[in-house]
Amino acid sequence: MANWIPLWLHRLSSPPTFYRFAGTLRPWAMGLAIALGIIGLYGGLVLAPADYQQGDAYRIIFIHVPSAWMSMFIYAVMGVSAFIALVWRIKLAEVVAMESAPIGAAFTFITLVTGSLWGKPMWGTWWTWDARLTSELVLLFLYLGVLGLYHAFEDRRQGARAAGFLAIIGIINVPIVHFSVNWWNTLHQGSTVDVFGHSKMAWDMLWPLLTVTLATKFYYAASLFRRAQTDLLDLEGGKDWVRKIAESEATR
Amino acid sequence: MSRPHLSDACAAVLRRDLLLAWRRRSDIAMPVLYALIVTMLFPFALGPEEGLLQRIASGVILVTMLLAMLLALDAMFASDIEDGSLEQLMLAPQPLALMLGMKIIAHWLTTALPLIVITPLLAAMLHLPAAVIPVLLLALLLVTPLISLFGAVLIALTAGTHRSGMLLALMLLPLCVPALIFAAGAVAAAQQGLPWLAPISWLAAILVLAVVLAPLACAAALRIALDS
Amino acid sequence: MTVAHAAVPLLEARALSFYRQDEPVFAPLDFQLHAGELALVEGDNGSGKTTLLRMLAGLLHVTVGELCWRGAPLRRDACTSEILFLGHQLGLKADLSPRENLRIATGLHGSRESVTAAGVLAQIGLRGYEDEPVRRLSAGQRKRAALARLLLLPGTLWLLDEPYANLDRRGIALVNQLLEAHTARDGAALVTSHGAMGFHGGEPRHIRMHA
Repeated sequence: MANWIPLWLHRLSSPPTFYRFAGTLRPWAMGLAIALGIIGLYGGLVLAPADYQQGDAYRIIFIHVPSAWMSMFIYAVMGVSAFIALVWRIKLAEVVAMESAPIGAAFTFITLVTGSLWGKPMWGTWWTWDARLTSELVLLFLYLGVLGLYHAFEDRRQGARAAGFLAIIGIINVPIVHFSVNWWNTLHQGSTVDVFGHSKMAWDMLWPLLTVTLATKFYYAASLFRRAQTDLLDLEGGKDWVRKIAESEATR
Repeated sequence: MSRPHLSDACAAVLRRDLLLAWRRRSDIAMPVLYALIVTMLFPFALGPEEGLLQRIASGVILVTMLLAMLLALDAMFASDIEDGSLEQLMLAPQPLALMLGMKIIAHWLTTALPLIVITPLLAAMLHLPAAVIPVLLLALLLVTPLISLFGAVLIALTAGTHRSGMLLALMLLPLCVPALIFAAGAVAAAQQGLPWLAPISWLAAILVLAVVLAPLACAAALRIALDS
Repeated sequence: MTVAHAAVPLLEARALSFYRQDEPVFAPLDFQLHAGELALVEGDNGSGKTTLLRMLAGLLHVTVGELCWRGAPLRRDACTSEILFLGHQLGLKADLSPRENLRIATGLHGSRESVTAAGVLAQIGLRGYEDEPVRRLSAGQRKRAALARLLLLPGTLWLLDEPYANLDRRGIALVNQLLEAHTARDGAALVTSHGAMGFHGGEPRHIRMHA
């Protein structure tokens, strides 16, 4: 029973197989992302009741919170695939790690922007040295470091391995950063607002949030598939399967 | 045929790097001058009010040290890559991580130690109370090796590339955030008369971890960066 | 040494190739190198001679094919003490003298029996320059200083990338003399060069490289 999993993974990690697999799944993932995104945002922005304290301003969490979750989730995906790439030298893992980085950086950026938009009505300032925002800012720099290192190499596979190594160092560092920033925050007593308090979130606020989160996951998958496809075509330029795809595109 | 003892090999690498630094001893003064000048700029920019300078002193000194070391880090492997000595080191029948550890020690001794030595002067320029200076020195003794170790790993990663200066800053500074927070926290606590042992212990813990892991990571990074 | 032992080649490559950006740098290579043999690696500029040497030295990861050292798959840590590599970059610190450079090398590798740094430097023609910083030496003298390392350090297989470059006629003769002595001691060497060379110690093996 356990035997087919590595076999299946091994098959999937061959570039032509993954190319086809990604090609078939991509429209579905994108469709689901759009559908769930519309449902979730409608639920969040229209159906959900206004917060008794924050009014309508809180509604930005339906974008802010899913982005924040994705920024960390994608970093984890990047780190794990970088690890696989370094240990087993699988090309697909390198591609997944490096093509995740810009998407993750984008989500991190969205988190920061929405966070500061939210901060204006809540704290009366665009930026505050809140522990979570600060950690997120450091995360953005980690992403940018990975991307910078990747593009500094002439050989893309070598760049992917070096940047993957940096991503793994970052994974070890992220909890330490988070812990230290929390410690620093208690020291300086910033204006931390606990969004969800200790009470449970109301269901009519929670379901749109979860739906948008799912939508971002599917969007990430679709976007990653698209990017990985392009990257694989580029990397495998001279190979037969790429030539076949190019020919079939040309005759169409 | 005589197999060299491990300690002989370590001594050879350490001796070599210290000797090279001695031959170019004017380079050792550069980070020190940089730190002095940057520290001097703050009173000009903010005004000479003693209370204000006192409040920012530890932060300014820590950040200045970080930047001064960042500037000096680039040289850690650059000339060795250029003249092929690094290749020879990688091909020597000795554990590469340990040899790189020796290089890191030599680098720390020649760049960080002079900076620590002039710290009391910088502290005096910014009116930091004398009672706090020992804590600041202790924090620096723990932070600067961390920067050297992290920096060595990252500079090894960029070894195969041509542009590394700004890239190194982009990669290194986020990694140094925890070290900076704890060091500044310790000094601030000492300045307010509060117990400062906790952040210092955290720094020491991170340093122990880095001393073990960073040379190994540095060796792995070099193998990746030069494998083409 | 028994015949059976001598039959195991020191170094053996089977269908060895190296890929950069998924392009083969050179066509698959098969060759054997026995103790006491010299191999000349020949090929045009860009045919991958340097890449091959760096791969044999363990600086590059073997992507395709197999590389065996004394009959077993080559592992870097198992054979580093027996392989000496001299690349385009000589691995000399310009601020240190030849003697100081040699002292570092012996610190890392150890040294052959009954050989001293001063003796080696004299043999290689650097008498009087032992304590001069390498940066003040000419290109040919630097090359000689790097060659001195080969004489001083213990090693069975020499990997020499363009050892004749920058050398005058006497220097070239010196390299050949070193190679002859080395192969006579049951050492082996792999040498890249596009120039002809007058090597008198038996017929060298030729390895042709094609891009």
